[in-house]
Amino acid sequence: MSNESHDCACANHESLFVPREAKILHTHQPTTTEKHFTLQFADGGPLKFQPGQILEVGVMGYGEIPIGIASSPTRTSTFEIVVRTVGRVSTAINSKKVGDSLWVRGPLGHGFDVDALRGHDVLVVAGGIGICPTRSLIQYIADQRDDFGRFVLFYGARDPLQLLFPEDRGVWRATHGIEYHETVDRADISWTGNVGVITTLFRNTQLSAETRVIICGPPVMFEFVIRELDEAGIKRENIYVDLERRMKCGVGKCGHCQINDKYCCIDGPVFTYAAIHELEEAI
Amino acid sequence: MSHFYTEERDFGSFVDALVRVTRVVGPIAKRQKFVFGEVLSAEDLRLDYDTTLLPPKKVFFPPKQLIATFDADSVQGSVDPVATVLLGVHPYDVRGIDMTDFLFRERNEDWNYLAQREATTIIASNVQKVAPRAFWASMMGTNGPQGHDAFLTKLENGYVFETRTPAGEELVRHGCFREATAEEIAAAEKVNADVLGQCQEQLPYSGAEIAAKVRASFDKEDLWDELAMDCFSCGSCNVVCPTCYCFDMRDAWNLDQNSGTRTRYWDACLTREFAAISMPGGGHENFREHHQSRFRHRFMRKGAYLNEKLGGPACTGCGRCSMACTADIADPVRVINTIMEWSE
Repeated sequence: MSNESHDCACANHESLFVPREAKILHTHQPTTTEKHFTLQFADGGPLKFQPGQILEVGVMGYGEIPIGIASSPTRTSTFEIVVRTVGRVSTAINSKKVGDSLWVRGPLGHGFDVDALRGHDVLVVAGGIGICPTRSLIQYIADQRDDFGRFVLFYGARDPLQLLFPEDRGVWRATHGIEYHETVDRADISWTGNVGVITTLFRNTQLSAETRVIICGPPVMFEFVIRELDEAGIKRENIYVDLERRMKCGVGKCGHCQINDKYCCIDGPVFTYAAIHELEEAI
Repeated sequence: MSHFYTEERDFGSFVDALVRVTRVVGPIAKRQKFVFGEVLSAEDLRLDYDTTLLPPKKVFFPPKQLIATFDADSVQGSVDPVATVLLGVHPYDVRGIDMTDFLFRERNEDWNYLAQREATTIIASNVQKVAPRAFWASMMGTNGPQGHDAFLTKLENGYVFETRTPAGEELVRHGCFREATAEEIAAAEKVNADVLGQCQEQLPYSGAEIAAKVRASFDKEDLWDELAMDCFSCGSCNVVCPTCYCFDMRDAWNLDQNSGTRTRYWDACLTREFAAISMPGGGHENFREHHQSRFRHRFMRKGAYLNEKLGGPACTGCGRCSMACTADIADPVRVINTIMEWSE
């Protein structure tokens, strides 16, 4: 700590907490609880980010919540988020329509280290709404497909009605360079695909021990997926987990998102498993 | 920088001169206790206080701080510092300010704190009366307090005023000061050295020793169950702590239901819902569900996580948490000493 004096130009120093206005260009309601927004900053400026980074998205008068960016930085003129109606703020966001505004801070945090993935086989394991932040990375890899090795994608949801991104899934299924597998915990009468928790998808897929793996999903999922990866001989430093916590400030101050001595909002939300497997509060 | 001296009879007019030109905040009486509040005249100032209910952190990081105002289609940020002299801060509270200065500056500079901090001149003062649960004598760190602009020490008939920065030096012109004599400087040093022996409690370990032991205690469930057994999760320890800086943001509508405010409020990591997130179906996932895990988290921060960043525990030894704790279990001397001596 030092007592260095600063040239006081306080008035010119901006608050970390003032959001930018983003206009809603397009919405889509894929399920009863999720809403997909395409946004653009009102000032026309771009959003420069890494896949896996987050935004604090809010409605003034209600508050802000952390949301992973669901579009790829390779598609820059607009950006996309998917919000699930669970609480007061998400309900306020999901009541907004085309032409309305959301108030956004970010990008925040530490995303996927795409350079460390480049040149390697990649497996993405996405459970439930975990498909949204990983979609940013999936699009990124799809757009630069030749830079990566084998690309395997596991996506699981509670039931067929909860599966998001039907158009994307059609593309993933049809794309030669993507090995896409999906499952649901509970089937309905229309479902002909795999039934079972996401780890059942590991039965039919052989993975090389050098595969880079990205995991994003509900807290309960991580432990079971990591057990499968351990059996496949995949090293902890090659496993990336995208964690969810309560993040109020998004800038490493407010304390809500702490995982032991890490801040999920600025040290994460993407961590290597090697970096957090010894943190008792992580998984 | 320099040592000045002012007579007791001239000190009041110095304070009154400051009050005429700027906002002055200092220790004032509130019934049987003391608080940092606005000093309107020298008569208000109580430099004989033992400690205040809340630390002076609130001058830069108020319990409730306007962050932004909004209306239907715009948002205006609010960083609005007021030139202030913060007078009569005890050395342990200067240490607390040193720590929050670092924490609000590291990685992302938080100008909602820093702007008021930079607009404030701090005059520290010697401890004339030691609070019953204080243990700051053992918590002064390797460098001692750093963030003050001047230090005021009460002698029998007057005050030695040691300036440390140009902002501190600048204040001298408002009073009737002369250069302090070598005897007066020596007397002030003796006053400040002697008071160190008056704290009733102490934590006799280095920061590194505490960090290592506290970290290693994480998974000792029996220890934490015992230490936290009576915790009510009320957050009183958080509220009175000079180094706690967790916060919440809340929006509120004005009466017109069209415009409103975004406000930062102090929060408390001991409270039950602090790390909880909403889940589908109206449920919650609470990442620190049990009071033991929240109590432990607070001591992990103070004793290990922040200790490793700050170069010493994020505890000033002020004793406020010991006094505020409903169940009297928050006393860091009790908790840290128990951890240091724990064997399975």
